[in-house]
Amino acid sequence: MSFLSEVRLKDKFGPFVEFQAGLGFVPNLVLAQSLLPRLIEAQAMLESAVRLREGAIPRVQKERILLIVAAERQDTYCVALDSKILSSLGLLEVQIDSLLADYRNVDLSGSELACLQFCLKLSHHAPSVCSEDIDALRACGFGDESIFEAVVVTALAVYRCTLSLGLGPEPDFGARKLPSTRIVQQHGPASHGLLSGSHEAGQRNGPYVRAPYLSPKTFSPFAIVQKSHGFIPNFFRAQSLRPDLLEAELEAVGRILLPEEALTRVQKESILLAVSAANLNSYCVAMHCNLLRGLGKPSEEGDQIAVDYHEANLSVADEALLDFAVKLGTRGPEFSGRDVVKLQALGFTEEQILECVVVTALNNFANTLQMGLGIEPDFAPPPAFEENKVHLADAVATPIGREGGVYRGDVIQDLDAGLVAQAQDGKLEAFEELVRRHTQLIYRTLMAMLGKPPDAQDALQDTLLNAFKHIGGFQGRSKFSTWLVSIARNTALQRLRARKDVESLDEPERGEEGDFRPRQVRSWADNPEQLHSKSEIQQLVEAGILGLPAKYRVVVVLRDIEQLSTDEVARELGLGVPAVKTRLLRGRLMLREWLSPHFTASTKGAVK
Amino acid sequence: MITCEEFFAEFADYMENQVSPEIRKELNLHLSQCRACRVLYDTSLKTVKIVTESGSFELPHSVSDPIIDCVMAKLRKDRS
Ligand SMILES: [Zn+2]
Repeated sequence: MSFLSEVRLKDKFGPFVEFQAGLGFVPNLVLAQSLLPRLIEAQAMLESAVRLREGAIPRVQKERILLIVAAERQDTYCVALDSKILSSLGLLEVQIDSLLADYRNVDLSGSELACLQFCLKLSHHAPSVCSEDIDALRACGFGDESIFEAVVVTALAVYRCTLSLGLGPEPDFGARKLPSTRIVQQHGPASHGLLSGSHEAGQRNGPYVRAPYLSPKTFSPFAIVQKSHGFIPNFFRAQSLRPDLLEAELEAVGRILLPEEALTRVQKESILLAVSAANLNSYCVAMHCNLLRGLGKPSEEGDQIAVDYHEANLSVADEALLDFAVKLGTRGPEFSGRDVVKLQALGFTEEQILECVVVTALNNFANTLQMGLGIEPDFAPPPAFEENKVHLADAVATPIGREGGVYRGDVIQDLDAGLVAQAQDGKLEAFEELVRRHTQLIYRTLMAMLGKPPDAQDALQDTLLNAFKHIGGFQGRSKFSTWLVSIARNTALQRLRARKDVESLDEPERGEEGDFRPRQVRSWADNPEQLHSKSEIQQLVEAGILGLPAKYRVVVVLRDIEQLSTDEVARELGLGVPAVKTRLLRGRLMLREWLSPHFTASTKGAVK
Repeated sequence: MITCEEFFAEFADYMENQVSPEIRKELNLHLSQCRACRVLYDTSLKTVKIVTESGSFELPHSVSDPIIDCVMAKLRKDRS
């Protein structure tokens, strides 16, 4: 028995057959998920790809990683299970006992010791893993494939330990004695040579292992991801060394996250976001903020969950669900069966609780993988999250100031703050100064949305009046200019609604990429802008932009004229980054077609 | 070598300088050997540059000042 009920599944159930073949039995940890068999399928896929399949690291070594990580987490269930597996692979009981007592005193090769040390650091202090740790592994003879596997096996260990903690299965075998003081706690992160974590700010950190290009044309799982996400996240690209594993992972992720029979997708994404935030994982925070936006949640709500979900606008039940997940995912020793009972009291079904446990486990799997492989961000995380993180994580080597300006701690610093305070006190001069500073920004936003100068000028007036009316409610959570743009956007939306033109902005993307394949293949002059006068070019560009469908026009104006970043545009418009990227590219290509006749090189075929 | 279609699938990120070193290498290789994609890339970059530097939708002060003055006058009147 575990915390939740179990139902009997057929012995012929595919994953059971796999576990029988691979381990010789079906662990109780697996049976504890029988209410939702698709979750068992997911675990079986991960286990067989990561643990059982022949790879760069020998099987016994993988089992030792799983055992040591479980022991460090005081996970008696997994320790008993993994000890049994090691003994079935030929290890003597006494060898297993001394491994559990202190792996550093066991006669292992230097490279395996280094590997275990790395895996423990990754499972316990993931945010402090840095490129020096990887260099240390390379110095011991580890190649990309072995490093990759060590990371994935550690991620699997974390996945299993999170499951066993959350589900409380009966042990399959007799308990093993665990020393009371653990190695990582005992020595702290800094005392191990390898565990010295900090690295200089600004230094390029990842990705740590090479990732050969994998085409969606030849690797069908990528085609599916591209279809569902609109792009292929770096998280998956970074694992292209092992397409077989990637495929299993994507299958597993699909089974856990996509169905809505128990928790909703929004609930699952919120769990992933809140637990990633508690794990200080900027990459996953940014990813899930974006996915939540894609599911129709306003950006502010996702941002608030990342910064502090207690302050977010959640129902009592949903807040308790996140409490449960964050405790399970990040404060293991505090978690107990009582937390399960609490959720039941709030009306959650056993299926929902089971799914919450598995989603949390998947989250920790992904967080571990991301940190261990140093996967580069696809999106910027909410600025307020990054700011907060610095305070949360004094002891942790946080990657601040990475390339590409993704991590900008100072982004909230607002030059307008002083004037805003005065304007909020009712000083009209201060308000007037603010307005004059930002007129162009507001006007461009209005033009982008409305497309007609007289409309935009009327709307400018309305926007300024609305801004003054509501300035008392501005709380400084974003820059003042961002807030002004949101007022402008709402003012323009009202006008569009009156014009019954609002659908054109919200219309989802459809049509194949092929429709937008560029037709013009004639090259342009070397310095095309010298072919016409400045005012001619301005007229040409304005006419081109005004001719774009509204949803492309807005994105092009904000990105290429206002020069906001792609993330800022997404935030402004409440769209996912992938949708912004698609619209931006299409808009730019349409403009290119429009401008082309005016800028082609006079001599044919002269391409540099 | 990757196909033009595969190149185009990465094109948006390539333009924004957001592809991994491995993919960049593949795309550069394709560009060096495919005239059509090279023209597409070159002219797209030029498009963005022209649009960005065009000064489009700038509201001349002769238009914006009266609007702001009018708003401020209204606010001052409401105040008194
Ligand atoms: Zn091509």
